[in-house]
Amino acid sequence: MYPIVLLSVLGIVVLFLGFMKSKSVLLPATLLFLVLALASNFIDWNQGKVLYFYEMLAVNNLTLAFNAIVLVSAFMIVAMTRGFQDQEEAQPAEYYGIMLFSLVGAFMIIGYEHLIMLFVGIEILSVSMYILTGSDKSNLRSNEAALKYFLMGAFATGIMLFGIALLYGATGSFNLTDIQSYVSIQGRGVSYILYAGLLLLLIGMLFKVSAAPFHFWTPDVYDGAPTIFTTFMSTIVKTAGFAAIFRLLSHSFTPIYSFWWITLAAITVLTLLVGNIIAVYQNSFKRMLAYSSISHAGYLLIAVTSLSPQTENAILFYSLAYSIATISAFGVLMLVSKKKALEGQVDESYAAFNGLAAQNPLLAFVLAVSMLSLAGIPLTAGFWGKFFVFGSAVERGLVWMLVVAVLMSAVGIYYYFRAIIAAYLKEGDIGKIRIAPFYRIILVVATAMTILFGLAPGIFEKLL
Amino acid sequence: MSPTLSLFYFLSFLTVLSALMVVFARSPIHSVLYLILTFFCLSGHYILLNAQFLAAVNIIVYAGAIMVLFLFVIMFLNMKKEDEESKTNLTKVAAVIVAGTLGVILVGAFRKSQVGTYNPYAHDSQVGMVESLGHMLFREYLLPFELISILFLVAMTGAIMLGKREVGERHF
Amino acid sequence: MLSDFGIILLFILAAIVLIMVVLGASRLLRPNRPNEEKLTTYESGEEPLGNANVQFNVRFYVVALVFVLFEVELIFLFPWAVVFGNVDLIEQTDGRWGWFALAEMLVFVGMLTLGLAYAWRKGYLDWVRPTPQVPHTPSPVPPALYEQLNEKYAPKVKVP
Repeated sequence: MYPIVLLSVLGIVVLFLGFMKSKSVLLPATLLFLVLALASNFIDWNQGKVLYFYEMLAVNNLTLAFNAIVLVSAFMIVAMTRGFQDQEEAQPAEYYGIMLFSLVGAFMIIGYEHLIMLFVGIEILSVSMYILTGSDKSNLRSNEAALKYFLMGAFATGIMLFGIALLYGATGSFNLTDIQSYVSIQGRGVSYILYAGLLLLLIGMLFKVSAAPFHFWTPDVYDGAPTIFTTFMSTIVKTAGFAAIFRLLSHSFTPIYSFWWITLAAITVLTLLVGNIIAVYQNSFKRMLAYSSISHAGYLLIAVTSLSPQTENAILFYSLAYSIATISAFGVLMLVSKKKALEGQVDESYAAFNGLAAQNPLLAFVLAVSMLSLAGIPLTAGFWGKFFVFGSAVERGLVWMLVVAVLMSAVGIYYYFRAIIAAYLKEGDIGKIRIAPFYRIILVVATAMTILFGLAPGIFEKLL
Repeated sequence: MSPTLSLFYFLSFLTVLSALMVVFARSPIHSVLYLILTFFCLSGHYILLNAQFLAAVNIIVYAGAIMVLFLFVIMFLNMKKEDEESKTNLTKVAAVIVAGTLGVILVGAFRKSQVGTYNPYAHDSQVGMVESLGHMLFREYLLPFELISILFLVAMTGAIMLGKREVGERHF
Repeated sequence: MLSDFGIILLFILAAIVLIMVVLGASRLLRPNRPNEEKLTTYESGEEPLGNANVQFNVRFYVVALVFVLFEVELIFLFPWAVVFGNVDLIEQTDGRWGWFALAEMLVFVGMLTLGLAYAWRKGYLDWVRPTPQVPHTPSPVPPALYEQLNEKYAPKVKVP
């Protein structure tokens, strides 16, 4: 609750700070605001379930934990922007302002209790993302990505809205708790309109987290957007989106689990197959990470599909591990591709990493750890993320899905290791890359967190 | 058939027809004009549902303002060239199958489901009026209402940011 | 008996019928002798040039977009205006309702006003005025040197 209000106001403050002569105040101000929001987030900690504003927004420890993950990721990403100093055309005040506003949308869909909050939240988040995707105006691919994302996203929002309307038609309420009581009273005798509505609503939400077969926008948009905003999209939108899907299904629709789990299971398997297999054929590292984000949506969907008591924890831990690893991978990519840039064209292929370890051992190590974590190798956070997710699937007895997931993780090792091999074993002429001190701290902290949670995943549960 | 019901069927027929014409019209300008017709038909539906404010808003905002934006966009694009976008037959067939399946499922779901009946004694005729809308909007829906202003702000900032003229950019 | 909406429907129908009657009558009465001049687009006596379908400056679009946002804001003011002075609600809440509703709307309008202020400050509402450009060629040679040269090589007018 508090971070929503706080960031709405502070976003405007950031916008207006942009009118000051010196642009250097923007970055520290934004970071400070994010820390303030994080602090205010924990005012409600351990209060149990609190409802705000005529049951519009629910706050409990789970939503607060998701909020915290989103805020921490946002902090790291904002810190890595370095104030957009090296871009002439950049408008940092607008970028930071829109980023803060988009977090408001993320908090809304994490803690919604009313479907109208879900809709407005998704709109705020998506509109911000369309704008940030197209922010590199002189780049044709960025423009194309923004247009593509906008058209498809608007269509998905329309489908989602149709689903919400049908749900209202069936249950007579937008409130999640009311819908839940309707569904549990009617059991399997619910109106067919409810099934149709749920299906359409899920399609709209699965589009936002780029699950197959609604993933076609992902590679082009992730590839075309400026890398810093790709990072933002692939971590924050995904975390918030999965929090929203989990909230909807676990809160309102557990009584008709037998209806929706088959649909979701099919989508999960398809997402895993599409994400992992197409990622193998990519030559661009950035595009590979886009497909990898699709495959991680698949792993998270396993947890949602199984919906066991462990699921909550599994989704939380997985999104945290995935976000940190993705941020550090993109962080290294940004430095390396900028160094290897030729006539303004950044080099984002695997070959850009050739020989990275020789002169830049720190960057190579950060890259290696993040790749290992994304691949799910033991002693990294990603391993435990996958472990918890698979554990919740076992509890539900979805062994066949688990077999697919494990096979696909094995495929994943191939394309993640290509980056490590390029960095450590290939010859290359990459020079020493200068890293700004703050950037270095973020990379080191992200890597340390990945290893820490990999060695002792219990710490995380203690924190909750 | 009561006059209201026949009016409903006539309006629905007109709505579906003009919506189809939006898709099938060759010239994008004609599409926009048919879209305006569709919006007017929808406003008629709103009036039949006793939601007059919504009907007026629909005409003012959608048929009025948003359509102007649509026309702007069409004017931005260079429509002089006649190039049919290249879609393979496979894509078309796949799209038809997928959309058809979804349509069949939806129609099936609607046919099998029971729609709540109308009770003329318990029905509150004031439910679609501006006043009851105001009561809802400014009490229960306070938070989403205020947060919509954030959405507007983001949209405005984005439009200004993306529409800003860069040095050396050419117009016309 | 007609309901209020029946009257409105009659209005709409009457408007359509009237236009058809007027146009049809003029079609029947007027002579039909088209020529090139008559068929061109009427542009207040100007010779029409090119196609009307030209690409607009993107700034018009931004202004239109900002206009739509404020129009939607205005739409929200209607239901607010109806309930703002509601006597029942004010009595039920000992007068707090009025202040509450006012504060709600102030926050909403205030947010958008800030947006407008932002657009204004950003210079988005000032239209670019054409500034006449005086041609100017930078040259390292001071103008005095040209004067000297001109004087030196000026054709000597011989006085007969």
